[in-house]
Amino acid sequence: MFETGIRQFRMAMGIVWGRKLDPRNIERLVADALATLQEFGEPGADARVLTDGPMTDPEERAHIAQTNLRRTARRLAKQSPFYTKRFASAGVDPRKLDIGHLEQVPVTVKADLTQNASEFLCRDSQRYLATRTTGTTGKPTEVWLSSYEMSLWPAMGALASTLRDDLRPDDVMQVNVSSRATAAVSLDVAVCHLVGTGCRIIGLVPPDEALDALTEGVTLLSTCASYLGQLVVAARRRGLGASDFTLRRIDVGGEVLSPTLAEAARETFGAEAINDLFGMTEVLPVTGRHCSQDHLHHDITMGLCEYVDLDTGLAAEPGAPASVVITPFFPYRECMPVFRYDTRDVVRPLDGTALTCEISGLPATSKILGKADQLIRLAANDIVSPRDLVEAIDALPTQPWPARFRATVDSGRITLTLPESAIAGLGQAAAEQHFNDRGLDVRVAIVDDEHASRLRPLRCDLRETTFAARPALIGV
Amino acid sequence: MQSSALHLAVFTLCVTVPSALLVCLAAKFYLRRVRIERPAIGVFNGRDVLVLFVLLSTIPLFYLQLPRWLLTGFLVITFASSLSIGYRPVLGSTKVWAAIGILLGLNIWMGNNALGTVLGWQLFWLENDIIVLLGAVAVANLYVQGGMKLRYVAWFAILLAGYDAFFTEVFPVTNALVEEFLGYPLDPSVGMRWHLDNAAIGIGDLFVYALFVLSAFKAYGRAAGRIALAVVVTFGAIAPAVVPLAINYIDARNDTLVPAQAWFGPAAFITYLLLRRRNGKERTMQEFLASDDVVRPGPDRTAIEDAAPVSPAPTHPQPDRQPVDVNR
Repeated sequence: MFETGIRQFRMAMGIVWGRKLDPRNIERLVADALATLQEFGEPGADARVLTDGPMTDPEERAHIAQTNLRRTARRLAKQSPFYTKRFASAGVDPRKLDIGHLEQVPVTVKADLTQNASEFLCRDSQRYLATRTTGTTGKPTEVWLSSYEMSLWPAMGALASTLRDDLRPDDVMQVNVSSRATAAVSLDVAVCHLVGTGCRIIGLVPPDEALDALTEGVTLLSTCASYLGQLVVAARRRGLGASDFTLRRIDVGGEVLSPTLAEAARETFGAEAINDLFGMTEVLPVTGRHCSQDHLHHDITMGLCEYVDLDTGLAAEPGAPASVVITPFFPYRECMPVFRYDTRDVVRPLDGTALTCEISGLPATSKILGKADQLIRLAANDIVSPRDLVEAIDALPTQPWPARFRATVDSGRITLTLPESAIAGLGQAAAEQHFNDRGLDVRVAIVDDEHASRLRPLRCDLRETTFAARPALIGV
Repeated sequence: MQSSALHLAVFTLCVTVPSALLVCLAAKFYLRRVRIERPAIGVFNGRDVLVLFVLLSTIPLFYLQLPRWLLTGFLVITFASSLSIGYRPVLGSTKVWAAIGILLGLNIWMGNNALGTVLGWQLFWLENDIIVLLGAVAVANLYVQGGMKLRYVAWFAILLAGYDAFFTEVFPVTNALVEEFLGYPLDPSVGMRWHLDNAAIGIGDLFVYALFVLSAFKAYGRAAGRIALAVVVTFGAIAPAVVPLAINYIDARNDTLVPAQAWFGPAAFITYLLLRRRNGKERTMQEFLASDDVVRPGPDRTAIEDAAPVSPAPTHPQPDRQPVDVNR
């Protein structure tokens, strides 16, 4: 009890003063949290302050964000060659940065990172682990992480997961994401290690292999939406249902998850919850999660989230499509930080109405609609987003999961190219009516199923081969 | 004129037994009904016992160096903190601070103005006893509701047994403390005056007694709580009062100072070993709160039982009932 108090005080002081945190101290807090849960069954009062920060008051939130932002900018101006130049060319004094006028600093885009990667490395940090984006939305980006970051993030993640009851020592987590996502996989392993949770890294193997593993006492599944779609289809094909699994939660991230697929996964696997998470290698450790009212709540303790208008680059009005721009704060991001990184993930800011959801202490937006360059603008205020299309396709009675499509605009009307199986037994006209019922005036075009994977890259296409999946060669 | 040893023993019994019983029963009453807010993370563990032991061992040495006004200031902060933590959940902030102000203010006034007569002393002791008992009940609950297990209490008691014997018989810090506190406001003891004699038992002793009964009750239920209470009364209240009849505990100032923990600690530790052998793993706070040992709002059988201290014909047989039933 006394030691725990001292550890919390050390952590709080580190956060307040903006000094590097001691990951070992936070790891010990994880052990303390586990002991607390074992004794009491739940954390004590104000546990949310530990995970989400004491930031329900907007004024206090803005003040803390400004302090963290200036501190982060000061360090970057000194340690990051890229931002030394950027601040200088923008004529910005990092000590006087105003959170209300951040447009002075141009956003950092993916091209900056891919073309000048080495200039983002901070002089005062040591490279430890490189992680590459999967490249589903363009050229892969490589991000270096320090040993400090790879110790700190799992510790903080484990603490939050423990206090929120997201991870328990008796859980077994199966990870079906690309094995090349080194940061994500390493973090999963480290978090599970700290909590004492079983961790099974499987990768994007043929869905039947992953399904076999899922039936062996797995309680948590971490994957991407497209692979989840494949798992649901495979499970239903094999006649597997909720009674064959012990899943209590499925975490999904990196792609648009439709309510139809989420519900199908809940039914098929018997999972109580499907967590739709936001995470992006470039802006780690800032993440986001959805609440029961379908808001996306970004983490505001470890970074600043701005929602900038796609056209003006200024703060977006409520309801307008906006790109999420994220600045991870020091001391949470150290080795290769970004400042005002434009994720190009589009959301709609909510109006000022007070939130009533279970995470109402954190600001929220709509769900992510898709990438900005994949929005289809039919008119000034008529935008069709990838989410609109994925949700409509996933809702087809043929259950064509994961949704594969290509959308193009011809003469002001969307042509939606689908694989043949997506409308099998339904017919083109009925399919068009289905989309029309959802407010989408589309012309449906069909391609052979063999060409389906060429329509749009999905994470589940990063399939990893295994010997088990190969046909036996002997005797052929 | 000096009172006889027998007279002193009987007088001491009249102070120690009721105060030990009162602190334990009140603490248990509180544990069954009131929840103290606890921090988001933290369970009382073995290292906390060591920290507590070191603090309790060194703070008296620190107290002895302080001028009177500063010592009184420290005592005000200590009592105000413990009372506010313990009774805010019961009374609310405004009432509890008003009550603390009245209790401590009155004590300081009486300690400075009312000690000229035996009646004045008795009134002072009475008011002081209320503060000390309330404080011990609150802090014992804070620790046990914070997850302190019987195992830790037993180790704490055995450590204190050695400490108490050493600092009473070999290096008389306890004696100096008694001298320092007696006749001044906020004496951290429960005591009473009879003619020329004062008899008192320290807050530390009462605190450990309450801890022992609460943690035994929390760990193993009502029967264990009763056994613990019997051990407290026998070795924590009766033994220290009567042993001066056989052993000379008179110090250089002609005071009789018995290291109560030296008698209680070993008995508590042995009791813990026996309880563990018989009952096995201790209940967690979660298990305790889920049991019917907790009185819940609304009509409840246990609440009705508790409200009736004498129950000559229990309608429900108690399979774990113990021969010693001093708790009822």
